[in-house]
Amino acid sequence: MSIVNAPGEALAEMNAREAQFDIDALFRTHYRRVARMIARVVRDPARAEELAVEVFLKLWRKGSAQGDHVEGWLYRVALRAGLDELRRQSRRSRYERLLSFVRSTPSPSTPEQLHSAAEQQERVRSILNTLPQRQAEFLVLRSHGFSYDEIALTLNLNPSSIGTLLSRAQQSFREEFIERYGHE
Amino acid sequence: MDTNDFTPLSTWVEERLASLAPGDNWEPNSAAALARLKQLHGSRSWLSTRWPWTLTAAAAVCLALMMLPSPRVLAHRCLECSVAVWQSLAASVPTQADLKPESARALAPDFTLRDATGKELTLSSLKGKVVLLNFWATWCDGCQVEIPWFVEFEKRYEDHGLVVVGVSLDSDGWKSVRPWLEEKKVNYPIVIGDDNLAKQYGLEGMPLTVLIDREGKIADSHPGIVNRSGTEQKLGVLLAH
Repeated sequence: MSIVNAPGEALAEMNAREAQFDIDALFRTHYRRVARMIARVVRDPARAEELAVEVFLKLWRKGSAQGDHVEGWLYRVALRAGLDELRRQSRRSRYERLLSFVRSTPSPSTPEQLHSAAEQQERVRSILNTLPQRQAEFLVLRSHGFSYDEIALTLNLNPSSIGTLLSRAQQSFREEFIERYGHE
Repeated sequence: MDTNDFTPLSTWVEERLASLAPGDNWEPNSAAALARLKQLHGSRSWLSTRWPWTLTAAAAVCLALMMLPSPRVLAHRCLECSVAVWQSLAASVPTQADLKPESARALAPDFTLRDATGKELTLSSLKGKVVLLNFWATWCDGCQVEIPWFVEFEKRYEDHGLVVVGVSLDSDGWKSVRPWLEEKKVNYPIVIGDDNLAKQYGLEGMPLTVLIDREGKIADSHPGIVNRSGTEQKLGVLLAH
């Protein structure tokens, strides 16, 4: 009896929450940008979409607590989900290499140019992975077209400090990149 | 100096990070993602309406288990065990000083009550013996822990002049006590007392164990579960007189 009722109850609960904030509107406005941002960090686009959906699910569950900072929260959580996944992936591939398994990197039998683009992506990701989390966050947000104000809102920082922090992150990135791969 | 050093830092970094941008031909599938989101959220709501029921059911099972006799026995064992551990840990060795000095002992209030066989038992008639007077009740868990010890004391020191007397304070008297007596093998007389007698012995909570010397005076009065070895030593002191 109650099992039959359950979908109805679920629906009622959804409606009650939707009265407080509109998940559909939020989704329509932000999903594309969130998913593409995660896709920058995470190698596999399908995985990036999964993570993006999980972020929205989190937002929905605790939506009423977010107040006016919904967007800042959304991109912050998405960014961290992406970077966490990147760390997991690199850990996994390290183990795989250690156990001398064949690595399942999508190695396309494609033109040289495509291959080198993939290689460059891997390099950039591995640098992001070694940088402190906060610096990686700056770089990803900036490259995803966030303004200083948006970065400040997302990371809960004072807008006036963004310039300094960002250039410090860029400095670290360059140093690390050159140390590993030389001038290219 | 490398030419790269002349490129502005931010441009240099952004050029490299730009390689991460997903290709223009890749678009997130919003419709599928929204459907997935709603499905995940729906399944969670279903769970959240379930868990109060689960909790209620678990509570009911616990309650039912507590009603059964075996958990009660288990709880009793547990109580016995923890009393034993506690007593062995907090084993302060009692000395003669733990008993009241002879000069300060008051005469034990006398009583005449009938035991289960209908035989009269008068406290003052036990003068010349050491009496362990134990106030208890069938519903009192702590009392059940120490009664087997008194049975053993009675067995061990009867010949040295010890008499154990149990005074039950069950309000329904023999109705509760007689079945209890049939179940437990108690080797000393049990009588039914009343509130008036309990008050005379200063009873505030059960159990209460009173040690009476050979002169019929109160040498010790212990509310709560006694310390087994301590009581045995006190009895030894009293019996030696």
